[in-house]
Amino acid sequence: MDAMMEKKEILESGILERYLLGDVSEMEQLQVERYLQDTEIRNHYRQLEIDFEKLAMENAIAPPTKVKNSIMAQISAETEPPKNERLNRSGLKSYLAIAAALALLFGVSSFWLYMKLNSTETQLELVRSQNEVINEELEDLVKNYDAVINDYQIISDPNTVKLIMTGNEKSPNASAISYVNHIHKTVYLNATELPELPKDRDYQLWADVEGEMINMGIIPEGTALFAMNYIDHAESFNITIEPAGGSDHPTVEQLISNVYLN
Amino acid sequence: MQSDLLLIQQLQQGNAKALSSLYDKYSGALYGVILRICKDEALAQDVLQETFMKIWKNADKYYPDKGKFYTWSYRIARNTALNELRATSKLIQTEDLGVYKDTTATEENPIDTRKLNGSIQQLEEHHQKALDLVYFKGLTHREAHQEMGVPLGTFKSYIQQALRKLRDIYQVEMILIIGFLIEWML
Repeated sequence: MDAMMEKKEILESGILERYLLGDVSEMEQLQVERYLQDTEIRNHYRQLEIDFEKLAMENAIAPPTKVKNSIMAQISAETEPPKNERLNRSGLKSYLAIAAALALLFGVSSFWLYMKLNSTETQLELVRSQNEVINEELEDLVKNYDAVINDYQIISDPNTVKLIMTGNEKSPNASAISYVNHIHKTVYLNATELPELPKDRDYQLWADVEGEMINMGIIPEGTALFAMNYIDHAESFNITIEPAGGSDHPTVEQLISNVYLN
Repeated sequence: MQSDLLLIQQLQQGNAKALSSLYDKYSGALYGVILRICKDEALAQDVLQETFMKIWKNADKYYPDKGKFYTWSYRIARNTALNELRATSKLIQTEDLGVYKDTTATEENPIDTRKLNGSIQQLEEHHQKALDLVYFKGLTHREAHQEMGVPLGTFKSYIQQALRKLRDIYQVEMILIIGFLIEWML
C-alpha cells in the first residue's frame, strides 16, 4: 500500500469496493479516505455507491410491519412528546422547500425564456428595419438602372445622330451634346458642360427652319439627357441665353452655340 | 439526494419522523441483505431492528460528504448481522451455512433468498456469484474468493468486471427513462 500508488492502480486494486462494504482495516480506511480527496477517485467511488444502492433496491425484501412498529415504539419511549409537533412541521417544511425549489426553477427558466424571447424580438426588429433600408436602396438602384438603360438605348439607337455643340466667343467654355433621331422624332440634350447661369437667366434651345427660330424648350441646367421638342425640317440647333422662364423669340445677340444638322 | 440530506439533518436532530421516513425508504434494501446473510427470518428481523436502533443512536457519526446514507447503513446492517450470526453459530456449534438454509426451508413461508432480482440477472453467472457473495452474503473478499475457489486477484477482477457491466446496464436504463420523460413532457 504505497502512498505513491497511481490512480489507475487504486481504482483497479479493489480497495474502494472493499471500503464501500466496510471490508477494510482501520489503516486501509484512513488510506482510502485520503484517496477520496482526489476528484476522479471520489467520482468513481460515488458511482460505485449509486450502483450498489440500485442493486440493493432491486433486491429489496419488505420486512414485516411489526419490525417498524417495534422500532418506533422503542424510540418514542425515549423521546418526549412535544418533539412530535415540531416534527410534523419540519415534515411540512421539507415539502414546502421542495415546492419552493420547483417554483424557483420554473420562475428562473421562464424568466430566461422571457429574456430570450425579448432579445429575439429585438433582433427581429433590427433585421426588419435593415431589410427596409435594403429594399429602398434596391428600389433606387432599379430606378437608376432603368434610367441608365433608357439613356443607353437612346444613345445606342443606330438612327440616333450625335451632334456636338461648342460655345462661341461669348461662352467659350460651353459645350453640349444633342442626340437627334429622325425616325422616332426625338431630340435629347446633354447639358452637363454648360456653364452655370445667374438665377434670372435660362438656356433655351431653338430650331432654325427656313430662317425662322422655333422654340425647342428651356434647357434644365446640368441634366445628363433631357428630352427637347422635335421640330421637323430643322436645319440647325441653336442655344441662347434668355431671361428666366424663356422667351417666345430668341435674343440673337445672346446666341452662344449652334450646330447644323447636315 | 437532496431529500435524504434534509431527512438526515432531521434525524441527527433526534427527529423520529425522519427515522420513520428513512426506514420506509431503506428497510427493504437492508432487509434484503440481512436476510441473505442470516438466512433466518426471525433472526433477520431482530438484526433489522437492531440496525435501525444503531442508526438512530449513532446518526451523528454519519458524515454525508463521506458517502451515501445507504452505504453507511449497509455497513451497520452487515456488521450487526455477521456479529449476530457468529454469536448464534457458537450456540449451535456449527459454521456450515448450508445448515441455516435447511432450517429456513422448513418454515411456513420461506423467502427464497438464493435468487437475485433486477439488473444483476443480466450478468454472467460467475459475476453474479461474486457480487452476491460480497454484496448480499456479507463475505469479505478473502472469504469470497475461497468460497468461489478462485485466486483473490481473479476474484477482484470478477467484481470489477461485474460492476462495470452493471454500470453499462444502468446507463442504458437511465437513457431510456430520460427518453420516456422527454416524450411524456412533449
